[in-house]
Amino acid sequence: MKNTAMGPNKTIVCVKPVVLSGSGAKVRSAESYGLNPFDRPALEIALQMKEKRGGTVTVFAMGPEPSAFVLNEAMAMGADAGILLCDPALAGSDTLATSTALGTAIQHLSPFDLVLFGTRSSDSDTGHVGPQAAVLLDLPLVTGVYAVEPLGNSLRVERRIDDFRETYELPFPAVLTVRPGSVRPRDIGLLEMGPAFEEKELMTWSLKDLGLSPERVGEAGSATAVISLSKVKRTKTCQFLSGSNEEQIEELLSRLLSSGLL
Amino acid sequence: MDTFLTEKNRAVRRAVRSFCDEEVRPIAGEIDREASFPWEVVEKMGKLGYFGIQVPRELGGAGLDSMSYVIVIEEISRACASLGLCVTVHNSVAVFPILAFGNDQQKQKWIPPLARGEKIGAFCLTEPNAGSDAAGIEATAIRREDHYVINANKVFVTNGGVADICLIFARTDPEAGAKGISVVVAERGTPGFVVGDLEDLCGMRANPVTSIRLYDCAVPMENLIGEEGMGLKIGLAALDIGRTGIAAQAVGIAQAALEEAVKYSRQRRQFGVPIARHQAIAAMIADMATQVEAARLMVYRSATLRDKGKPFSQASAMAKLFASETSTKVTDMAVQVHGGYGYSRLYPVERYYRDARVTRIYEGTSEIHRVVISKEILGG
Repeated sequence: MKNTAMGPNKTIVCVKPVVLSGSGAKVRSAESYGLNPFDRPALEIALQMKEKRGGTVTVFAMGPEPSAFVLNEAMAMGADAGILLCDPALAGSDTLATSTALGTAIQHLSPFDLVLFGTRSSDSDTGHVGPQAAVLLDLPLVTGVYAVEPLGNSLRVERRIDDFRETYELPFPAVLTVRPGSVRPRDIGLLEMGPAFEEKELMTWSLKDLGLSPERVGEAGSATAVISLSKVKRTKTCQFLSGSNEEQIEELLSRLLSSGLL
Repeated sequence: MDTFLTEKNRAVRRAVRSFCDEEVRPIAGEIDREASFPWEVVEKMGKLGYFGIQVPRELGGAGLDSMSYVIVIEEISRACASLGLCVTVHNSVAVFPILAFGNDQQKQKWIPPLARGEKIGAFCLTEPNAGSDAAGIEATAIRREDHYVINANKVFVTNGGVADICLIFARTDPEAGAKGISVVVAERGTPGFVVGDLEDLCGMRANPVTSIRLYDCAVPMENLIGEEGMGLKIGLAALDIGRTGIAAQAVGIAQAALEEAVKYSRQRRQFGVPIARHQAIAAMIADMATQVEAARLMVYRSATLRDKGKPFSQASAMAKLFASETSTKVTDMAVQVHGGYGYSRLYPVERYYRDARVTRIYEGTSEIHRVVISKEILGG
């Protein structure tokens, strides 16, 4: 099964526990959390490579204790092991502090061949963390990857941007961020729930385990701070057109044309 | 609502809900109208473990607890009650009796394909003249040399049109009354095994409910589950689990109706405001939500008792009685919230209303449940 010459031997997929529901306030509970939907394609790509070429897939997340289940879910999809980086000092981390923590933790998993991220998260949508972690790890990076093809000790990846397709070749180890539409993530089945919750290894690391100073993460290690968060109110208006169908179509067309929408 | 669920239970709910939102909900209206069985989805569900929810993993199942089981049924039924019915009947009254009362050879032969959904199971007890009075069945399974010759007319068989492995309740000793009833597995394709036409039902229309008739059908002696005369014991044990499943199904249907009513009451405007702002409608929503929650808690209690190895027969009967009656009330209220549109096929609540109705009838009517529950309380 395992053919180390043909694909990444050890792949790390970074996933984010995100708030799926709520009013916009930063309330996190076991009921409102979920695995960032934009990370699932990255995990799927890693799992497909594992199935075809062997190797292992480790999922990595940073978050409070109740968010550990996103790693169980990732393991139910097929990942081999999960690691949660969990420390009260991480609270309030911006993307730079998060990348510092993730980058340091990923270094602790050396040697590895490939680190995958989603392109962004569904709750904060910055798209910073993958690229920043790659810089901190001093590794080659391709963002917005659509397809991955392992070539012995290197990778060929396709990136799509607007209507163009770019193909890159890069050596292991490397960092990729994976586009949401690249691949349909598999359904999580019931058969894998037992192994994911009872057999596969789920480790929790603290900053102490990484030898990382609390000063470099959390609010202390952040370069930016969210000052406020409020919902954008959009005003909708509804206008009724009258007359025959032809008259209504004429009127609609003229309004769309005059408003510049057509 | 789910503070006593484990993370694994919650993960099961998320996984099933996500699958059903994507694969089941979008086709539920169509398969109801066309009375068609969704094979494509069923095959996917088989690969994901839905047909062996509590089957041990060494036999190819998911090996989950009862709480996960009711959550799976609740979530499938929230999307499509007909499919929830298929899965609960298969798991509870077809797979469970083989697991609990079958011998090793029978388990090795039948359980793995059942757990993978490659074969579908059915429970054949009801006859034209024997429903609530299960001991009154007329089917016979008479020993002849190394096999049983079965003659049976089983009606309202859930999954009947697609079932491969059917548990037939029949008299192996016609003189012995209730103690002469046994369970024998008959496989589709055996000479004399005839599947009747689809029943033209009010609800659950995507489930191929049919009659199954056996005419001098010869099945090997080794297809006997348990021992001769154990039929009613096996049937009642299976129905305790089946009832919890039907109760979960009723909760799922009611939950779907509640969600639709909430959505519609926020959209529909009358007298210048969304109808949710009218107290009469808001009060209905409050009553619906409260009743669904109460029913759900009863179902979860029954599942918890079973997971703890405690007696759950009474809890299961109460959960089934309450949840099924709640489901018919709540779906009725959802139709009412929708007004004229609720009576139209433009909205799914009319399907929920039709689907909910039978939960008070199958796997023991409300009336039989009241008898069972009161006997336990009053004695005799």
